[in-house]
Amino acid sequence: MAMCSKFLGSVSALIAVGWTGIAAAQDVTLEYWVYSDFAQGDALALQQQFISEFTAKHPGVKINIVGKGDADLTAGQIAGAASGNIPDVFMNGIGTGAQLVEVGALANIHDKWMAMPEEYRSQFDESAIKNCTPEPGKMYCLPYTGYGSLLFRNLTVLEKAGIDPSVPPATWAEWLDQMKKVKEAGMYAIPDQALIFNSIAEMYAISGDVSTWGIDWETRTTRIDPDVMAEVLQKFVDMAPLTSGTSRNDQATKDLFITDNLAFHTVGPWVNPTYEEASKNGKLKYDFVLIPGDTPDKHGGIQNYEIIGVAPGENFDIAWEFASYVTEKEQMARWAKLLSRFNSNVAAMNDPEVSALPLISKSVEAVKYAMDVMPPYLVKAAPSCYSSTVVDYVSATADGDYTPEEGAKEMIAELNDCLAE
Amino acid sequence: MPSLRRHLPQYLMIAPFVVLFVAFFLYPIVSGFYYSFHDWNGVDAPRFIGLANYEKLLGSRDFGRAMGNLATYISITVPLGILVAFGLALLVDSFTGRWASFFRNAYFVPVVLPAFLAATIWRWIYAPNFGLLNMILGWFGIPSINFLNDTDSMIYALIAVDVWVSAGFNMVIFLAGLKNIPGELYEAARLDGANKWQQIVHITVPMLGPVMFFVITYSIISAMQVFDKPWLLTGSSFAEYGGRRGALLFPVMDMMGRAFGEVHFGEAAAYGFLLTVAIILLTLASFAVRKWRRS
Repeated sequence: MAMCSKFLGSVSALIAVGWTGIAAAQDVTLEYWVYSDFAQGDALALQQQFISEFTAKHPGVKINIVGKGDADLTAGQIAGAASGNIPDVFMNGIGTGAQLVEVGALANIHDKWMAMPEEYRSQFDESAIKNCTPEPGKMYCLPYTGYGSLLFRNLTVLEKAGIDPSVPPATWAEWLDQMKKVKEAGMYAIPDQALIFNSIAEMYAISGDVSTWGIDWETRTTRIDPDVMAEVLQKFVDMAPLTSGTSRNDQATKDLFITDNLAFHTVGPWVNPTYEEASKNGKLKYDFVLIPGDTPDKHGGIQNYEIIGVAPGENFDIAWEFASYVTEKEQMARWAKLLSRFNSNVAAMNDPEVSALPLISKSVEAVKYAMDVMPPYLVKAAPSCYSSTVVDYVSATADGDYTPEEGAKEMIAELNDCLAE
Repeated sequence: MPSLRRHLPQYLMIAPFVVLFVAFFLYPIVSGFYYSFHDWNGVDAPRFIGLANYEKLLGSRDFGRAMGNLATYISITVPLGILVAFGLALLVDSFTGRWASFFRNAYFVPVVLPAFLAATIWRWIYAPNFGLLNMILGWFGIPSINFLNDTDSMIYALIAVDVWVSAGFNMVIFLAGLKNIPGELYEAARLDGANKWQQIVHITVPMLGPVMFFVITYSIISAMQVFDKPWLLTGSSFAEYGGRRGALLFPVMDMMGRAFGEVHFGEAAAYGFLLTVAIILLTLASFAVRKWRRS
């Protein structure tokens, strides 16, 4: 009897283990890493709604959403790749894509992408898709949210400086003239654009374009044109006495703008909620326009995208399905409406309710002219000496250590040395 | 074997430490040394390249700049930090009861404050025009200073933050040392007519010798690894770090940038190893100075 009981117990245990095993095979838990500001408040609620909708159609799939800061996302994904524990679906900036490809954190999604119906593939911005596809047959990301930088203008400051705010500056010359008037009126014209690589790129786009920007990896040389850079450096020299000394990302810059001490702020749309809030309180009169270029038909500014990547591994198929669901038009339109943020899904941007949002419609226009920040993407990680060399020579020239021509020449020589290493 | 069996309980008692020490201290150092001779992206098989990582580092502009900044930083922040901490310890020691406890806790708060919070507070204090410090300077007619973007002032701005944070920790160490100095020594000195300054110079400082040695050594080692404060004060990222013209670029920041910004873990390992060697040499030097002074 005891033997029989033991046998039955063992069989029961085996059956239980068997069932658990089958259940485990069906159950999949995806780790989904997003930017920390997408994992709080209304943004988190909408992300969770996307997850609920997806999991309702895919029983057995569970998705854990985790918010992380920029540095933690990158470090976590690289360390995860090294330890074989990468999140299944994750966001990052396209500028970090090359590092993630190198460590194998980003799976090649080309075949999955090509297998999607044309109706889905045609939804996206062509240049954004091109940036995710460094070579034929290799695609490493889906473009997600993005921005084209805009010129935020404090209308009160302009009026105080005797400038008619109803007519935005059409060219760099007009803009510089307005900046000088603002300074003469005792206020700051613009943040120090020489402090950050992205704001330098914004200024470069005023005179140059993407054909003379970025890195030529085949020859390991910079594509920056010395003549264009000399023109741009002259702009930094002209702006130097007019700046607030703060960078475009500093809280102090926003404080100066809100308190009517700063006229212009070239930046992405993420500052708008702060300015909108100040405007609602009746303390700030502002608008946003395109960054002027050297000629009326040209504009400055940069464009950039966040990406959604899928990790290689056993969850690849379902992770891809989730990534493609989140980036599909319906979700991107809801996301755009909630955050009033531009994204790479053109079909979503054309949604009447979305395109009616002023910040989005202006961003769509800005992106048409804007320059990529550090092309080509997803090929190789630019060495840190590249951006620091650009920033250093721009700062040094603005400080008067070099003439613009000398600064451009020295900068390009040092950039080529940096890339040759 | 009989010896092993006899001492088994002792070995078992130290085993947890040994396991953790080997796993999280010895192994990373040895493997870091190994990877420093390899081209390695953290994932693929490392490729042996001899001394190339070291040659590249020593010839790199940012390495020289980071080391230069570090030398300036250490030469100011260590003596200044110790002086401030020692002064605070003497001050707090002169209080008794609730006040002593209040000041001790108040000065210790920056030590337990998360680095990002401390950096946020200081970014606000240093902000041009509206920052607390510039507002105070403005009362005296001094024009606004761009503490975190003016290359002449950036390192001093960092040192002030560092002293503010480290003073509380070092103060507690000094306080513990002060409590161990026998009161009779001060009593005898007073009877001999020594004033307060003479008591500090001839009794307090010599009696705090071992504590002072610990604080100096610890401060140098901490200063050589400075990372979070300049990183946060300059709003750095893996792609862009060190602030305007690299005025707040330090070795650990550069090492992190090479590791996670460029995925050159071999180069970062070489950087780490050079820094470790420098720390060991400086520590040995401080021990040698101590031995020489004793002899």
